[in-house]
This record gives sequence, C-alpha cells and structure tokens, in this order.
Amino acid sequence: MSMQIPPAASSGRAVGSEVPGRGPGFSTSPHEVRTAMTRAAEEPLGGTPDADESLGDRAARAVLEFRQGRTDALTDLVREATPLLWHTVRAQGVDRDVADDVVQSTWAALVRHADTIAEPKAVLKWLLVTARRAAWETVRKGRADLRRRTELPDDVTEGAAALPDSRPGPEAEVLTDERDRILWSSLRRLPERCQELLRLVSLADRPDYKAISASIGMPVGSIGATRGRCLAKLRAVLTEQGEASWT
Amino acid sequence: MSPKHENAWGAPVPGEDEPLDARDVAVLGRLGRAVATVDPVPEGLVERSLFAMTLARLEAEVMELQQIEAPVGSVRGDAPPLEARTITFTHERLTVMIALSTDDDGTHVRLDGWVAPAATLTVELRQPGGERTTTADDDGRFAFTAVDRGPTSLLVRLPDGGDVTVATPVIEL
Repeated sequence: MSMQIPPAASSGRAVGSEVPGRGPGFSTSPHEVRTAMTRAAEEPLGGTPDADESLGDRAARAVLEFRQGRTDALTDLVREATPLLWHTVRAQGVDRDVADDVVQSTWAALVRHADTIAEPKAVLKWLLVTARRAAWETVRKGRADLRRRTELPDDVTEGAAALPDSRPGPEAEVLTDERDRILWSSLRRLPERCQELLRLVSLADRPDYKAISASIGMPVGSIGATRGRCLAKLRAVLTEQGEASWT
Repeated sequence: MSPKHENAWGAPVPGEDEPLDARDVAVLGRLGRAVATVDPVPEGLVERSLFAMTLARLEAEVMELQQIEAPVGSVRGDAPPLEARTITFTHERLTVMIALSTDDDGTHVRLDGWVAPAATLTVELRQPGGERTTTADDDGRFAFTAVDRGPTSLLVRLPDGGDVTVATPVIEL
C-alpha cells in the first residue's frame, strides 16, 4: 500500500529550491550556459582576470569566489571541466551509469571541501585525483561484489576483466574518418597510462597539462614543456602506420 | 626530472625532449575530437552535477548508487526507457529502492519507493524547481506521482538520527 502525494500544491512545503547556507543553489537553467571564454571577457571578477588564464587558474578563482558566497565562476567551471572528470573516471574502467554518479560526487565533494582546500592553485589537480580515486573505489567494490555473487574463485580474474570497461574496440566504430580510426588504434597500442594521459591532455590546454600529468602520477614535465614520452610514442606508432603529417 | 632515466615508463623515446610542434598540436586536436565522439559526456551531466552541488550544501550524507536495473532486452544508454527502471541506493544505515514508471498522464513520472529497514520516515523529493515530501508507511513504502522529468534526488531523514539526512545521488528522470 503506497501513500500518494498529489502534485506540489498540497505537499505542505514551500516550492523553491532555496537552501540554507550560502544563498541560492547553483542555477542549472539554460540561460546560464556560457563558455568560459566569453565569461572571462565579459565578467571581470576577483581583480585582474587574464585572457590567458588557464583552467587551473579558473578553478582556483572559482573556489576562492565560492568561499565568499559567489557561485557563478564555479558553475562555469563545472561546465568546462566536467568532460575532463568524465574521461578521468571512464579511463579507470567504470561503466557509464556509475561514472555519471562518480563525476557528480566529485563536484559535490568540492563543495564540501571548498573551505579546507589549502592551496587553491591545486584545485584542478584535487578534482582529477578525487575523481580518479573514487573511480578506483567503485571498480574495487564492483569486483568484490562480483566475487561474492559468483563464488567461483577461478572466475574472478576473468570476471573482473569482463567488467564494463572504457577501452573501446567496437566503440571506435563511431569514428567514420579513416585517419581518426588509425589514430585511435595507434593510441590503443600505447601503455594504458599513456592512453589515459593523452586522452585527457587532448581535451585540455597546454598550461593544464602539468596538473593532468601530476594527477595520474606521470613524471612532472613529461608533456607540455616538451613533447613527452607518451606523445613521442604515439607519433612513432603513427609514423609506422604511414601517417606522417597531419598539419 | 631527466627523461633520460629509465623508469616505469620504459626507455626514452626519440623526440620526447623536443618542444611540441604543429604536428603534435594537430594530433592532440584530432584525438580530442575522437575522444569526445567515442565516449561522449552524457547529456545533462553538468546539470545533475550542479544540482548535486546544491544538495551538498545541505550537508546530507550521500547514498551510494548500488545498481540500476533496466528491463531485460533493453539497450543500455543514457536515457533508458522509464518503464520498470529500478534503482537501488545504499547507505550504512539505510537502503532505498525506487521503481520508476510513466505516470497515467503519459508525460510525468511515477516514483514508487521502499526504504529498508522499514520505518515511517520522511522522504523528500528534490528537483531544481522545488521539493515535495511524503512519509513512508509501516512497510517502508512511499510514492510520488506526477513528478516532473529532470535531475532528481531523494532525501531521507533517519529515525532517531537527530539531524542526519541521507540523499541519493542525483538521477535523471
């Protein structure tokens, strides 16, 4: 027997999403959609916004402003950095449903920890590391659950390998351009951490490569200042494939 | 660090110490487009995240999404059909299971839920547009009808938990 509540009017609660704490919630309305670049141009905040501001800089500023009760910069950051977090999580072998949850939780954790992040310059790295750890945790739990359900120790390794996985073979079918397919198959021949690094930096700008490298434990300076080993390897594989120049 | 060192990344690769050139930029640009095509960010994830951040400021403990069961034979995608979608959320002191279906009017959503252990708990349905509350019955059952589609989270106040509130992750109805 379920209890049913008619639409909002009789719920006895005021309609509205005002929450206690620092003013209203984060707006999710479509008119808030702006790119970080237009925002930076039209909305000088927090002193001297720089046209060359990196994502890491914007993340730092977003958290500092949030501490003062302003949420616009953080809203923009969510729009801009969610793809990086998504691919960070997916690179750990988390399926799409769970990855959705992990990305949300990472942003929620940033709100909870905004007051205690000692070094705002490290916010981007903090986000990437938090997402990555949370992703590992779900993968670990998924494997433990699978082990309990199957109760067949011999199957564990095989079962774990069969977990939903971000390493597309068949998924690459969506790439219709032959060069894209060559690039993708070349990428897949690299060590996994190189694949992860290159996928993430391909979505970012050069000033942020360092934070990305650091978040996945790659040697500092491995990409950005120089080509770095992973990109050099990818180029070597591409050259073997006969793709000499894409400029 | 000196890339000349052999390390976990293997032997040095020719060209790794050179500055990024136009070809590197072209390769990374093409790769970025391929990454976004092969594994696109789910529609609405930004909005769900923003809503989750709003909820986080309520300082509720967030439940864990345990499993989503789609109807047998359905294709798993970003927007599985609502019919018979069942989702389980867990917390160390509480489990919430919800079943989603299309409401009688064909556009809104009906949400039937169970809390375990069963108790007459207050359950709050939160969406960016507002919130509604109901109470679970003695068997732990509750329901919301005529729910708008969009990012949604349930908040449950624990019995004798003082101010302890648990929230489900934001799901897309």
